[in-house]
Amino acid sequence: MTLQECYTAMGGNYDDAIGRLRSERLVQKFVLKFLNDGSYDLLCRSLEEKNYEEAFRAAHTIKGVCQNLSIDRLQESSSRLCESLRNGYTPQADALAEEVRVDYAQTVAAIQAFQKESAG
Amino acid sequence: MWMSCGFFSEAAPAGSSPPVKAQNKEVILLSAEQKQKILIVDDSELNRAILADMLDDEYEIIEAENGLQGVGLLQQQGVEISLVLLDIVMPQMDGFGVLEVMAQNRWIEDIPVIMISAETGSSHIERAYELGVTDFISRPFDALIVHRRVVNTIMLYAKQKRLANMVADQIYENEQRSSLLIDILSHIVEFRNGESGLHVLNVRTLTELMLNHLVQKTDHYHLSPSDISTICTASALHDIGKISIDEKILNKPGRFTDEEFAVMKTHSMAGAEMLENLPIHQDDPLVKVAYDICRWHHERWDGRGYPDGLHGDEIPIAAQIVALADVYDALTSKRCYKDSFSHEKAVEMILAGQCGTFNPLLMECLQELAPDLPALMSGSNSVAQRDRREMRNVAQEMRRHEELTASERTLQLLEHERMKYSFFADMSKEIQFEYTVSPPMITLSNWGAEHLGLEEIIMDPMHQPEAQSIMEDIDFQNLTDALRSTSPELPVVTYDCKLNYKGAWRWTQIVARATWSSDEPPRYTGAIGKAIDIHDSRMKLSALERMASHDALTGLLNHAYAKKRILERIETRPVASYALVIFDLDHFKAANDTYGHSFGDKVLVHLAEKLRQCIRGGDIAARAGGDEFLIFLEYKDEVETVISRIFQALCGQFEHFPISVSMGVALTSAVPGGYDALFHAADAALYTVKRGGRGQYRFYDDTMRETLSVISPIEDGESAHQK
Repeated sequence: MTLQECYTAMGGNYDDAIGRLRSERLVQKFVLKFLNDGSYDLLCRSLEEKNYEEAFRAAHTIKGVCQNLSIDRLQESSSRLCESLRNGYTPQADALAEEVRVDYAQTVAAIQAFQKESAG
Repeated sequence: MWMSCGFFSEAAPAGSSPPVKAQNKEVILLSAEQKQKILIVDDSELNRAILADMLDDEYEIIEAENGLQGVGLLQQQGVEISLVLLDIVMPQMDGFGVLEVMAQNRWIEDIPVIMISAETGSSHIERAYELGVTDFISRPFDALIVHRRVVNTIMLYAKQKRLANMVADQIYENEQRSSLLIDILSHIVEFRNGESGLHVLNVRTLTELMLNHLVQKTDHYHLSPSDISTICTASALHDIGKISIDEKILNKPGRFTDEEFAVMKTHSMAGAEMLENLPIHQDDPLVKVAYDICRWHHERWDGRGYPDGLHGDEIPIAAQIVALADVYDALTSKRCYKDSFSHEKAVEMILAGQCGTFNPLLMECLQELAPDLPALMSGSNSVAQRDRREMRNVAQEMRRHEELTASERTLQLLEHERMKYSFFADMSKEIQFEYTVSPPMITLSNWGAEHLGLEEIIMDPMHQPEAQSIMEDIDFQNLTDALRSTSPELPVVTYDCKLNYKGAWRWTQIVARATWSSDEPPRYTGAIGKAIDIHDSRMKLSALERMASHDALTGLLNHAYAKKRILERIETRPVASYALVIFDLDHFKAANDTYGHSFGDKVLVHLAEKLRQCIRGGDIAARAGGDEFLIFLEYKDEVETVISRIFQALCGQFEHFPISVSMGVALTSAVPGGYDALFHAADAALYTVKRGGRGQYRFYDDTMRETLSVISPIEDGESAHQK
């Protein structure tokens, strides 16, 4: 799997990321780093604890990271979740959080598959 | 115009950035020995890493994961930080909070901030600008744009600080780099032109030689060394307009047709227009001179040149000289349409007017220079000369900026002082602190933070539980009040209290100096100070105090200390009624003789214990010396019952030794005249009891006035006889 295919799998925009970050090396480095980013765990934990202020920030961070890396699909869902939590909890947040979970899982699966193949 | 030229678009994507200067400055920034520092404040580690990766080749990166940490680092490192990249949404303190603190402390004036955020609402952006950010970049960002804006912003601020940081090597570097850069630009034109690339260097060298020779002959043109330097640098740009000429015409081997020549002639005006259309730097002397040279380096002295047909000295001297140098180098170089002429032939052709008419004065210069010209042009000499000139400029700059280099030295001294300070702070094993009212923040020395188990930087200490647990509220309040009530003239406060060292409360002396602003009236802005652990010495002192005030055998007060306490008591409540009781053991000498001194001591300890049991908390009991004891007590209406009870309690038995005491009592109501008189009276009463058969108590009355003393002379009771 190439990095470009990985982008396709996670619903990202490879050309945009390369265009902005200017090097495949950089994009690859940070895409792999995405796996270790703690914001998603923080988001899940905050939602469980009903700490919506923290959850807002975590969603916001995920959105920012995805924007930087042009991981569009997850960026869009996290952005929607983020807005639904901006002024505290709203009923839509639960469904939106579910979308983020699905997109996050797909994103991570794509990156892991890429990581495995590029390592092997 | 510049932007439309293909080879600049890479270098200047940010639209308004000045291409030539920007590049130039960047080179200088890179060449500076110490990397400039950028603070990245973002709660996502990944985001910080992406930004750091873009910038860490050229800059030193420090990171903070929330606003609070960011403020702490700003407080610590101040203007050592050249730029802040700031996120908005963060825990602890958000980006706006950081900006507010920076505005309050006026850091924002010296440290530029670029906000980077996924927030794109215009209200956010507006607020950011209102709070003084220099730039706002929204996610997702382009690496090149971030890089360019960072460079530009730092440059902008660096420009403000430039004079302050001006040191010789930088000036030197500056001149060299800017020449280098212009040379590169001009070479690009030349390569397109199919020329060797040496043309620009040669024109520059010859221009310089001519100018230096000219100023020796005449001061008609008022050329300063810096004018000469500017003209030489600008000379490299003379053909820049050729960029707009079709390559087919530019590199045509044969003669031009009239139409082609007409196109070719447009290059001088085209170059001038490029410079004229520069969005900025219009007032830069370099740009002005370059404009003159571009436009008029094909004019001739007799008015037969192009594009404007100027005559004589209507043509700026810079353009006249570059025109001559251009012709000379064209003649001596091989071109696509001709072979090269020898130096001699070229000079001959020029002097003969075959390449148009030039200023007679310049012809003289050329004639005079001609014999040495090939050697001077050969390179090494001209470079050496340039270096000498640059060194001279450096020297002049240095003289002009003496006060500024002094401030550079001040900065170094400051840096040195700070290093010294932190070293000694670590060595001294003291808790050193700095407190600022706004923002409310305590900064602790490294050692201090470790020993109190706190962070080095504590924001909002009044509402921070860990910080609050260090000190009792009342002590904190007292200390703050004391500091606030100081004045700029007398700002130092010393305050003793207990501090919590990771669970152990220890006596600590806090010495602090309030800081006052220089406003009128002065404002209290905080304090600096240190906390010294005085627990051990204080404990030792109180042990010593106890030793000095107590009798070692019985643990009762000694006479001297009891007297001190009694005097204090009388002084506090002079109208109250007091009784002074003195008693001794009957037949104590016999007990000592019969059972030994250690038994005697045991009796005394026993008696002291009895005494302690039978008096009230406020009463004062002391061993006055030997087997004499003293009691001082306050009473209300009736005293005899109290005395009788004490007397009865003291009598009894200790290990077969019958204890009997003789007791004399003096009342303040009966004996005026202070402690000494009172003591003397009680002593006299005791003497009366002893003489009357022991085992009783008696109150002093006037009949005892002439009585002798029992206690006299004893060491501790000496004061009783000083009357």
